[in-house]
Amino acid sequence: MSIKDSVKTSIKRNLSQRYIKRLLGIISAKPLLYAYGSTFQSAADKYLNIFTIESLKKAYSDNNRPVGYGSIFLPYELFHALGITPLLPEVMAGFMAALELAPRTLEEASSNWYPRDLCTFHRSVSGAIELDLLPEPDFIITTNLACDAAQKSFYIDSIKYNIENNFYMIDVPYHFSKRSLSYLTGQIKKVYYDICSKTGAEPDPDRFKEVIKLSNEFRKWAIKVNNLRKVIADYPPYYNGLNFILPFHGLAGTREAVTLYRKMYEEFKEYPNKKDTSGGPAGDKLDKEKNIKRILWLHLKPYYRNEIFDILNSENCRVVFEEMNYVYWPELDPERPFESAAKKMLSHFLAGSIERRVSMILKSAKEYKADGAILFSHWGCRQSNGGARIIKDSLKKINIPTLILDGDCVDKNNSSQGQIKTRLQGFIEILKS
Amino acid sequence: MYTCGVDVGSVSTEIVLLNSKNNKIESYVIASTGSDSKNAARAAFENSLGRAGIKSNEIKTIVATGYGRVNVPFADKNITEISCHGRGAASLFPDLKTVIDIGGQDSKIIKLEDGNPVDFLMNDKCAAGTGRFLEVMAGALEVDLEEFATIFINTDEKVDITSTCTVFAESEIVSLIGHGVDKNKIIKGLIYSITDRIISMVERVGLEEPVCMTGGVAKNLGVVKAMEEKLGTKIYIPDEPQITGALGAAYLARKID
Repeated sequence: MSIKDSVKTSIKRNLSQRYIKRLLGIISAKPLLYAYGSTFQSAADKYLNIFTIESLKKAYSDNNRPVGYGSIFLPYELFHALGITPLLPEVMAGFMAALELAPRTLEEASSNWYPRDLCTFHRSVSGAIELDLLPEPDFIITTNLACDAAQKSFYIDSIKYNIENNFYMIDVPYHFSKRSLSYLTGQIKKVYYDICSKTGAEPDPDRFKEVIKLSNEFRKWAIKVNNLRKVIADYPPYYNGLNFILPFHGLAGTREAVTLYRKMYEEFKEYPNKKDTSGGPAGDKLDKEKNIKRILWLHLKPYYRNEIFDILNSENCRVVFEEMNYVYWPELDPERPFESAAKKMLSHFLAGSIERRVSMILKSAKEYKADGAILFSHWGCRQSNGGARIIKDSLKKINIPTLILDGDCVDKNNSSQGQIKTRLQGFIEILKS
Repeated sequence: MYTCGVDVGSVSTEIVLLNSKNNKIESYVIASTGSDSKNAARAAFENSLGRAGIKSNEIKTIVATGYGRVNVPFADKNITEISCHGRGAASLFPDLKTVIDIGGQDSKIIKLEDGNPVDFLMNDKCAAGTGRFLEVMAGALEVDLEEFATIFINTDEKVDITSTCTVFAESEIVSLIGHGVDKNKIIKGLIYSITDRIISMVERVGLEEPVCMTGGVAKNLGVVKAMEEKLGTKIYIPDEPQITGALGAAYLARKID
């Protein structure tokens, strides 16, 4: 049995926070951690997984405080400037799905009156909190940017932990203007100073400046990775861009994010050359030779074991870009850290009108030379599903077919694998006809 | 030389043997899938060979389609029902733009351009509005499914069926019968409830004429009439709508070396 399968089986058998802590302690011991790391064929995946275990250990540690929950669309530079260990519950829901714990957490949520049409990322987290599987947070920060379920379910979570006074909801205005930037900057500043006063920490604007500098460095490497992906379609085995939600969001402003994206860039740059035995330039040439169909992936993917990407690979289709990896924000000004964090939020393509998302998708489809787009329509995710028709029609105007693939990122029982397979294969047949 | 299409659906399995020279359907078989789809497909295939008087070594290529397509060991390739139904319908009606296929548990809308599928939509999560739904309702009403068309045409009023779920709809019908509601009005309501579900799918893909309906439910003229009335267009029906997927598979088999 592999290390991954052993972890899965043992957690399922001994489902408790105490056991998770113990397991993280065991697996994060250097020899075992490196043995675990060696199971990943991609260097970027390896680094990500090792770092994830270390950061989870930190979040679960009793000696490491404060811990803060944050929703996915926050500028995590704020957490790193405050020295708060972030725990992204939505990412935890993805881990729980991968570890096959989601059926249990969802069942618990259901027993506690969380409605079935609530997004399963949030429902699974609420179930995990009911089961006391997550480390207790000192703060919870969320936003109304894009996601409606996070702001409400996170508030309920704050009541559960009896930290309502440490719950912050950052209100992101619909339009980007000087006034909205100032309004949002004010809120972020207030959250920062309020948390400082509660933890007794001395406000340290210089630290925030350094975090913004690191964020810019990470941004630079992420753009380099993305630019490379515009010309290649051949990746190291098992690379999946949708596995990098945690670092892209939660690690922005850390040295680890910089290292990870630099490694990713170097790996991608080298990989096609390694495979090109003729010694000539790789990239487009390889694409042409192999007649690869280039797919633009919209929204997220199922995080439990599924066949989607195996089917795509076996049919010579490659996901060449995921909208979640789009670098949507400009270079930030380290001298104005609060305003920079606000600017990052306001720049998000999910803030404001659907037109912003559509325009980003059309731009990406052209830049990454997409032959087709797949929008994974996650159950209960209104911010993503609501725009499906407009997105499909807009892509059709530039002759790019779109598959709206209904499913669930977390709950494997909420969609049929057979139906997903038929839709996916039918779409591939259309792309190839 | 011949090609063969095998369509393994949830309710029935169809086989078409196609003559590659003149596009003649040499034989076709419609059989029940039952619980063993693999053997059902094999038996139907043998049956179709017998009917046509063709030996298996005369079949150049076999393509399987339908939900059980991966479980047909004697097929050379499997292709989804989306491509096969599209191709099959286009071979019968060359200028076709929209295919409405309602099978045992699947309903799908396929948009065609020059005979090739360019978009599609399928039902998911729920089999309401499919052949199986109609069968269950006919059972609850104790009325032969074949009579639905005549009843639909000869009945003026309908009773709305509000439940989507097959099980709840069955209970609703039993309750309506218990309250003395005319069965014919219930049948008319049932047909409209199916039609409404399909129409919303057609509208999502975008209606383009000419339109054709395939699959077992296309044999129910009540559903076809209701669909024509709501869509405001004529719907073309193949002579044997149930074999369209297998026919398309047999056509697509020609392209395989």
